[in-house]
Amino acid sequence: MAVPGHRLDRMFNPKVVAVIGDKGPGYMWLHNNLPLKERGGRLYSVQLDEKEIPGIEALGVQNFKSVLEVPEPIDYALVAVPRQVSPYVLKDLIAAGAGGAGFFTSGFAETGEELGIRLQEQLASMAREAGFNLVGPNCMGLYLPKAGVRFNVDAPVTDAGEIGFLSQSGTHGIMFSLVAAANGMYISKCASFGNAIVLDVSDYLEYLMLDDETKVIGMYVEGVKDGRRFFATLKEACRRKPVVVWKGGQTEAGARATMSHTGSLAAPQAVWDGMMRQCGAITTNNLDETIDAMKMLLRSKTPRGDGMALLAQTGGQSVSMTDAFAKAGLRVPRFTDATYAALGEFFNIVGGSYQNPLDMAGTIQGNMETLDRILRIVDADPNVDGMAMELSALFAARQWKAKPETLDRTIATLADHMARSEKPFVAVLHPAHEAEYVASIMPKFNDAGVPVFQSFERAAAAYRRALDFARRQGPSAVASSAEV
Amino acid sequence: MSFESVLAQARAEGRTLLTEVEAKSLLEEAGVPVATTTLARTREEAQEQAERLGYPVVLKVVSPDIAHKSDVGGVKLNLASREAVGQAFDEILASAARAVPGARITGVAVQHMAPQGTEVIVGMTTDPQFGPVMMFGLGGIMVEVLKDVSFRLVPLEEKDAREMIDEIKGRPVLSGVRGQPPADIDALTRTLLKVSEFVEQHPEVKELDLNPVFAYPDGALAVDARIIIDGA
Repeated sequence: MAVPGHRLDRMFNPKVVAVIGDKGPGYMWLHNNLPLKERGGRLYSVQLDEKEIPGIEALGVQNFKSVLEVPEPIDYALVAVPRQVSPYVLKDLIAAGAGGAGFFTSGFAETGEELGIRLQEQLASMAREAGFNLVGPNCMGLYLPKAGVRFNVDAPVTDAGEIGFLSQSGTHGIMFSLVAAANGMYISKCASFGNAIVLDVSDYLEYLMLDDETKVIGMYVEGVKDGRRFFATLKEACRRKPVVVWKGGQTEAGARATMSHTGSLAAPQAVWDGMMRQCGAITTNNLDETIDAMKMLLRSKTPRGDGMALLAQTGGQSVSMTDAFAKAGLRVPRFTDATYAALGEFFNIVGGSYQNPLDMAGTIQGNMETLDRILRIVDADPNVDGMAMELSALFAARQWKAKPETLDRTIATLADHMARSEKPFVAVLHPAHEAEYVASIMPKFNDAGVPVFQSFERAAAAYRRALDFARRQGPSAVASSAEV
Repeated sequence: MSFESVLAQARAEGRTLLTEVEAKSLLEEAGVPVATTTLARTREEAQEQAERLGYPVVLKVVSPDIAHKSDVGGVKLNLASREAVGQAFDEILASAARAVPGARITGVAVQHMAPQGTEVIVGMTTDPQFGPVMMFGLGGIMVEVLKDVSFRLVPLEEKDAREMIDEIKGRPVLSGVRGQPPADIDALTRTLLKVSEFVEQHPEVKELDLNPVFAYPDGALAVDARIIIDGA
């Protein structure tokens, strides 16, 4: 999918990619981009250094000594040359009519050195004058899993991308992409944009909000250059799809004198927070919260209310679960009499309970038909807006390991419930003493589309964020984001 | 007073702080509910204006060199007679001149003393990164100590103004506590929106405080106003 006519469209959907200045023995950038060939694209190398050329050709990549010699129009280039050379490479890329380029090259204004600052200004003015799409510099460039363009060799190549991600930091961009993949969520398009001297976060955001492939947008930002444009773009983006904003670092107070009370109270963070609410963005503080928010948005139905049914396995956990959801400002309401009557027909109240929260292990006893029956009854209760269920590695891991089909049946029961129910559902699987085993079974949950969180608190926080987002969007937008 | 003429006057005098009388008159024209305030240059003018506005009145010093009026004995409250107004006028001029020697004193602002309402603050400042920003909070100790305020960028939509009010921790105070009637949230919302429109139309305004605004069961009224313009 693409956004026809948009200035970033070519570089975000590349067929011809050039890696400029990669060096052995690792040839990191060529290795990153080798999948391009299996995805139907063409990868070229540009390298002057004679002693590097055999290593490049050994990878099956054709090398040229100049950008201008590459036999096809370059849609995207990754530039990894020494900083002094970068203006010459940019000049050639502009002359060759390339669609855009990510500059891995660093050593610019971020160094604070005069030479770095001067070179950065030179790149910026050349690119601006030519209307050239310069990504970075001092960045990891683009990650386009569908095209086979990558910024890390472990990043998956896939058509299953749903998340557009923007990151001022290369590490956060890579880490988010890999951790999201481990949670069964994939990147549609990701830009690590570093110093953002030409294209800034608003440019990328504008593209991602129009891109059909991108269902939700996430970003890691420390600061933005054009605040008013960012505000306007983010507001528009949030109208179109959920946007999760992970803000890093303290926003520095601009040096200014204030003569008003208001001015003295307008701390940069408070203004930022107000703007986020005004735009309708979902805000997070770290990687885990960002992953969890994405999982909730992509895998769960849209929350329409704060009344939670909590399905715990045991009494102690039912109390902890209630505490966690209550602390997130969610309610744990009484069920209707009809629900109590239906549960009362079979629920084992010796060592169990079917108040809300439920304490249900003693009733289910490993029987998935009983679990299914409980899920159906609770789902039908009008007091219940959303459901959260504890899966306990403490009790289940031993059986799941011994009889893997019991795990499969559990997952299938939950997946059936989710397909049937209109209400959001979250599962909590604390790894307990079985972290390695639990990690090994996560792909099964991911493949079934069952959103699993590692703690009650994380599940509750993710539910809260999705609910707040849905409330901000209002009734009409809730319906559309539910399609996501 | 048109905005342009006030701006020209202030700039000609090298001021970035508008006088209270200037600020209120501009806001009043913009549809922001403010307590009508007039400038008296003499004792007699102060007394005539007090008669016209109705007792009790408040007198406040008007000087481009005095930012914090009450600190210099420049504010007299609850004046209920012609004699009290005359005496207060003399005292204000004397104590202001004592506290800030050489201060240019334009006169005294005369204002009908509005009945006490729930105190809130409505403000605007210019963020170096995001431009004009509106602020809302409860007045008095809530804003001074707890910094219980909310922000949104200009221009505000109605939803933004409502959220600003709903977002503060002290929000229950506006619903009426200890037998107090609830504050007129619609009037506060309209005030925020009018101020947002005003600053949007006049980018020369860099900062603005309406502190306090009295919130009543029916309506709202800004009893003090400061406007700071850019120096250009």
